[in-house]
Amino acid sequence: MRIVIAEDAVMLRDGLHMLLTSRGRQVVAAVGDGDALRAAVAEHHPDIAVVDVRMPPSHTDEGLRAAIEIRRDHPGVGVLVFSQYVETRYAAQLLADGAHGVGYLLKERVADVRDFLTALDRIAAGETVLDPEVVTQIMGASRRIETLGTLTPREREVLAMMAEGRSNNAIANALFLSYGSVEKNVTQIFTKLGLSPSENDHRRVLAVLRYLQA
Amino acid sequence: MTTARTWRELVHALITAPVRGRTWRELVYALMMPLMAGIGLVHLVLVLLSVAMTVNLVGIPMLALSVFAARGLGTANRGLARVLAGVRVTAPAPFRTGPGLLNRLGAALGDVTGWRAVIHGLVRLPAAVVAFAVTAGLWGGGLLLLCCPLWWRSPAFAHLSPSGWPGAVLMSAAGLALLLLAPWGVHHALAPERTLARTLLGPDPGAARIRRLEQARAMAVDDAAARLRQVERDLHDGTAAQLVTLALNLGMVQEDLEHAHRPERLERARALVDSAHRGAKEAVAELRDLIRGLHPPALDKGLETALATLAARSPVPVRLETDLPERPAPAIEAISYFCTAELLANVAKHSGAGHASVDVRAGDGLLTLIVRDDGVGGAATNTGTGLRGLAARTGMVDGTIDVRSPAGGPTVITVELPLHI
Repeated sequence: MRIVIAEDAVMLRDGLHMLLTSRGRQVVAAVGDGDALRAAVAEHHPDIAVVDVRMPPSHTDEGLRAAIEIRRDHPGVGVLVFSQYVETRYAAQLLADGAHGVGYLLKERVADVRDFLTALDRIAAGETVLDPEVVTQIMGASRRIETLGTLTPREREVLAMMAEGRSNNAIANALFLSYGSVEKNVTQIFTKLGLSPSENDHRRVLAVLRYLQA
Repeated sequence: MTTARTWRELVHALITAPVRGRTWRELVYALMMPLMAGIGLVHLVLVLLSVAMTVNLVGIPMLALSVFAARGLGTANRGLARVLAGVRVTAPAPFRTGPGLLNRLGAALGDVTGWRAVIHGLVRLPAAVVAFAVTAGLWGGGLLLLCCPLWWRSPAFAHLSPSGWPGAVLMSAAGLALLLLAPWGVHHALAPERTLARTLLGPDPGAARIRRLEQARAMAVDDAAARLRQVERDLHDGTAAQLVTLALNLGMVQEDLEHAHRPERLERARALVDSAHRGAKEAVAELRDLIRGLHPPALDKGLETALATLAARSPVPVRLETDLPERPAPAIEAISYFCTAELLANVAKHSGAGHASVDVRAGDGLLTLIVRDDGVGGAATNTGTGLRGLAARTGMVDGTIDVRSPAGGPTVITVELPLHI
């Protein structure tokens, strides 16, 4: 897997570099700001770009803007946005053009090396990965929204895990449910959110987006 | 040599005075005094009449109108003073009132600017008389004497006439001397006029103080926001990034230790623990600096101790002298501390000085902080953001900062703060 890292804190950038290299991933470029990131992605066409939200020169959402542009200009490149705090608005902006091959994780998730690498693999494979913290905040905010208010607590839990990008199987294991009962919940969520079966392929993604855009 | 030049300059000034613009403008100003003072007098009579008539209510709107008119008179006087007497007086804030007749009446009656103009009308009367008398005496008398050869034989002036041509020429010369002195005399005779215009026709000191406080408040709010932002950035880019890196290292160690039976994994784990250990110590050190920047612990033991700590940390040798018989308010101590820290940092960064000194004294309700250095100078409050920040912080508590830093040095910066807020 070929990876571009964009992170302005040198220490952390080197740490990531070492982590990924030592685990058999290839880091093709490690840069410190948005412009360098755009250039590196255009040059190397990596499988995935790991992007810090806040980078120079603006120190605001430089990385996020670059990530959104990369998703638009290089649809084949997976993007993992990597941030010190959760901002649901950022997640919504990131997912506004679809949720294919995109992730938003808190930086500290890197401490669980295996989970972090799995997340990278899944994003590179085109899946969506949202930080549990992002999902919690979205759930909190979305309680006010009417359609989402009709979900039962169990359905919320299932949707939260869907938003994290987990499969029905993984959800069943995590919640100690049978596979069938998870499936039932998922169908129920789709119905309540008004997602018709014809959109079956993207319904999981759309359900998540419904949350983000609410 | 020097005296010779001084004399030459003086003579030059005397001779060229009549052809200088200021001379003629001041002459016109002085000649207008009877007119302006006269208008002012009429206005004063109106004010007095209105006051007398307030008993039967008609006087109230009259008084309001007179005060409002005083503003106009003030504007006219200010304009004349600017154009003719060379006094630049800032215009006071414009008349402000709510809608409705009563509001307007109230605003006019309580209009400080208007009342100050009324007072100007009264106090300027003697000043105007003096200015006009001096002007008339010098210019009129000078002209009269200068023309002595024309009239000395006229019988009407027999009692003042000199006894012959030499006397007449002598008087004529005296007249010329008087005329040469006139510009200088008029200028000085107008001094009270200028002072009065400056003190009574400008913005009222209360309003000016409010404006100053508003500016100080805006700066303080900006300063506080900027400092919070800086703290946030330091935490985000420093401590938080260090902790994430630490977590990352330990995460890798954890994984490597699961395969501890393989010597190369164990070796790598050891290296990672070393790096994590170093990282943790660095994070603690940086966090300590950050905390000290928020509130220096040394300040709890008093300003002397805190300043001594600062002086000891400075890369440029600092001589510290303190005389604080009375302990200032905590906020003042904090401001003094941060001012000193900033100023000493400037000394180290910009001045190239070999020595610096810090003097802190308390007395008469004031804390005076003087930071000196023997560096290159050239510091100013309007150039560096650091000094501007200091001006904001001292302004918050009605303090002042005075920067004396000629190019080539030395630099002396004096901060004055009230001891208590």
